[in-house]
Amino acid sequence: MSAPNLERVDVATRRFGLPRGVWKWAALAVALTVGASIIAVYHVHYVHRMERRLLTVLPDQVPQYPDLVGFAVEQAKPLFREHCAACHGKDMHGNTALGAPNLTDKVWLYGTGRVYDIERTLLYGIRSGESKARNVTDMPGFGVRGRLSDGQITEVVQYLLKLNARPYDVGAANEGQRIYYSARLGNCGDCHGSDARGDSDYGAPDLTANVWNTGGDPDSLFHHIKFGEHHIMPGWLGPLSLEQIRAIAVYVYSMSHPSQPRPAPQPGTNSYAAR
Amino acid sequence: MLINPTLEKHSKLAALLEDARVWQRKRFLPLLGIGIGLVAAGVGIFRSMPKPITSVPPGYVAVVNGKGVLMSDFISQTAYEAEKPFRQTSAAERRRVLREMIDKELLVQRGVALDLPETTIEVRTVMSQSVTAQVSAPLLAVEPTVAQLREYYDRHRSDYTTDGTMTVHDLVLRVGGYQNVDQSIAQAESDAGNAAYELRSGAAIGYIKEHYGFVDSGRSDNTQQLDFAAKIHLGPSLYKAAAALNTGEVSDPIVESDGVHVLIMDQRQPPSVAPFDKVRNKVYLAYRGAEQKQATEENLKILRGRAQILVAPGFSE
Repeated sequence: MSAPNLERVDVATRRFGLPRGVWKWAALAVALTVGASIIAVYHVHYVHRMERRLLTVLPDQVPQYPDLVGFAVEQAKPLFREHCAACHGKDMHGNTALGAPNLTDKVWLYGTGRVYDIERTLLYGIRSGESKARNVTDMPGFGVRGRLSDGQITEVVQYLLKLNARPYDVGAANEGQRIYYSARLGNCGDCHGSDARGDSDYGAPDLTANVWNTGGDPDSLFHHIKFGEHHIMPGWLGPLSLEQIRAIAVYVYSMSHPSQPRPAPQPGTNSYAAR
Repeated sequence: MLINPTLEKHSKLAALLEDARVWQRKRFLPLLGIGIGLVAAGVGIFRSMPKPITSVPPGYVAVVNGKGVLMSDFISQTAYEAEKPFRQTSAAERRRVLREMIDKELLVQRGVALDLPETTIEVRTVMSQSVTAQVSAPLLAVEPTVAQLREYYDRHRSDYTTDGTMTVHDLVLRVGGYQNVDQSIAQAESDAGNAAYELRSGAAIGYIKEHYGFVDSGRSDNTQQLDFAAKIHLGPSLYKAAAALNTGEVSDPIVESDGVHVLIMDQRQPPSVAPFDKVRNKVYLAYRGAEQKQATEENLKILRGRAQILVAPGFSE
């Protein structure tokens, strides 16, 4: 056999110095890469577009758009785990030891639980040292500052139990009620209201809702009144972007408003299929 | 050697193709690399160029010289000024608030351009107070216990001393003027010693005035005064003597520039340390203040550790 035949075979099977088989695989790899890039670019574009929409819509209007809620929830979940869950818990049920409130109920310290209210708290925090933070009021330590004796605090606790239809001592509760309304002693109504329903403009909780950030047993109520409360929440404007803050606000809102439209499926995922 | 022309022709073609392949191998990949590199560099150059802001980004209500006014702040401010929820505010109210916010942003930017933090005391004060508030916020999140407050009280008992009170007569025997022009200081001191003795023995102030020529100095109005007020009126040396007297006691003669004084203490309530329960609130506030001070000092320590501070020769901190 002769060499020219071999040369012909070689010329026929090699392109740019590589065997044709390699080029086939390379072409496949390029096609896959291009395809993945297109999907990635589409996803980035999708995220960018949704983020713009999420911020363009006024905060309280976001729940009207299920696709936006769904997008926000997906974006917020890892952020919440990273930045919020340490205090509020992964399930948002709060932590009474830290005084971190349950975010899944409908009881709110500040505002009425609208997306705007939640976002405002996220932006600047509570007693964070920023002047835009929620920091108008503080629960003073009535015992530690010498305003009420331990016995008087116990009586106020009994009145709180009465307000929440829990077992209480009648005599002590009556005396506690007197202290609650006494300007010289408790003056509790000044913040919590004459009906004890609180004032969410100032972060004064509703004392009749039987929802307690620091635990609702008599001991913790006693401790709370005696030593006061000065819990803080940092402001997240800066560490987090506006889009991220809005997304978390919508996520928290969706958890506390389960009757609202459920998150819609996101293109390319089936994250919501099980819901 | 016999050469087949067809074979020779094929061999030349094969050689040419081989040369082409070698060239391709040698040149293609480097050229491809250069091309990709140029494209990447071009993309990088154009991407790094700052984009001029031509529209308001989402989440903002306005952009003033590149600085955004947050939509959330606008909603909050509008609701606050209109005293109703944002959704109930009118277009006119929103326009007015937005105009105010833009005006304010312009003024703030002008203030920054004028370097107000450098030149204006009020701005510097507010800025430093704001930093202090931020660094001490986490510390203030934990309420102190009674034990902590009591320990603080014990360490700072002198801060909780109630001011004493005194009702004191200050009689003076003038020397070198006034009533007894020729009287020497020694004579006056001797007379004042006798007068003090008689006062301690029960003599009336009126009698002493009349007999020895004492007059009221005018430094004390013979009414009850807090210690700090008495100190201002009597002066340091007379106050020191007065503070040492109990009710009903009479001082030894005290020589001052205007004559020889004798003090008669009508009523004395010495200063005392207030019990913890009486001053709990004061202790609490002082404890919180101390926490803030500590936070500020620690923050300054960190800032100083990072800062380059040069002090002119001959000066020191």
